[in-house]
Amino acid sequence: MTEDEKFFAWLDGELAPHEAAEMEAKVAADPQLQQLVEQHRALGAQLRGAFDSIEAAPIPERLQAALRPSAEVIDFAAAKRARTMPSLSQWASMAATLAIGVLVGTMVPQRGGAPVEVQGGKIYAAAALNQALDTQLASAPSGDVRIGMTFRDQAGEICRSFTQPAASGVACRDDGRWKLKGLFAAPEGQGSDYRMAAGMDPNLASLVDSTMTGEPFDAAQEKAALKRGWR
Amino acid sequence: MDQLSSFDDQLASLLPRLRRFAHSLSRDSADADDLTQATIERALKSRDQWQEGTRLDSWAYRIMRNLWIDTARARTRRSTREAPEEEGLNVGEDPRDAMDASVDLKRVMTAMGRLPDEQREVVALILVEGFGYREVSEMLGLPIGTVSSRLVRGRTALLAMVGEQ
Repeated sequence: MTEDEKFFAWLDGELAPHEAAEMEAKVAADPQLQQLVEQHRALGAQLRGAFDSIEAAPIPERLQAALRPSAEVIDFAAAKRARTMPSLSQWASMAATLAIGVLVGTMVPQRGGAPVEVQGGKIYAAAALNQALDTQLASAPSGDVRIGMTFRDQAGEICRSFTQPAASGVACRDDGRWKLKGLFAAPEGQGSDYRMAAGMDPNLASLVDSTMTGEPFDAAQEKAALKRGWR
Repeated sequence: MDQLSSFDDQLASLLPRLRRFAHSLSRDSADADDLTQATIERALKSRDQWQEGTRLDSWAYRIMRNLWIDTARARTRRSTREAPEEEGLNVGEDPRDAMDASVDLKRVMTAMGRLPDEQREVVALILVEGFGYREVSEMLGLPIGTVSSRLVRGRTALLAMVGEQ
């Protein structure tokens, strides 16, 4: 232990009695050290004072809600339980890789700008899809694109699942843009069926499941995230 | 069942302290509450890994610290792109009405935010949360000498920063 470390260990009450007595005598004989003691005691008090205001503050509702997750995410939990076939998610992630190439081809020549664009080997949301991901709340659907869930991935970035007439998918924030994590063609004949809940499409659900950490955002969190620019 | 509900109750009673720790690690209140929420979710999911009879607080603090480290890369990337000063002063949910309290908190959070991560966590755990050197060394898996030298550097830098404000 250096002398500095010994001094601070003494200040924090971490020294053994005989060493503490030694340091105490040293400090008593040194006005400069005494000043340092005062400064650091004041610093400690200031730190504790500032952060104790957090400890004393009421707990925000969303944190209380996190302790009783069943109330918030009942739909998604039900969707998870409904997927009983263990091999399904493996197939789904393979499909996610395959589906994207096929789909980009069919989506590019759409009117009003393609919903995706490829840049540097990454696929980003564009046009109406980008607009919807940026501005739309799940609670207030409008236009062709419908937002399902908003959540964070393992890297802490915000992701959103979406459904549009031809496809559904998940996009996550990547340097200020929406990078597509997966895209699935809508099953034949269900192309415009919006009634199917996003979490119920097994491909999409398993991609959401493997991407998400924690629980999906509730309406208030989604709104707050929008206000913060999805950071 | 009793065991489970006592886990929930204990975790609930830790919330104010976890929030405080999150604020001492994070840049602003919004980030701190995101971190707190992620910690609760992870703790609930990993409850089987907690051993009855060991300290739940150290266990939960360790989860929070690891989640915070996990997102460090994303955080650094974001903070270099944004104006850090503005963000550092942006305390979303002011916990107290008193003006001076929130100014104090902003100032202290900004100063803490300028410490290197490895010094900040040690300062937070020992000077704010009141853990002992030995406890922190076990929690972080670091030799006690490393804890002690990071603490010296962290608190010395903090004193200089708070002094110049």
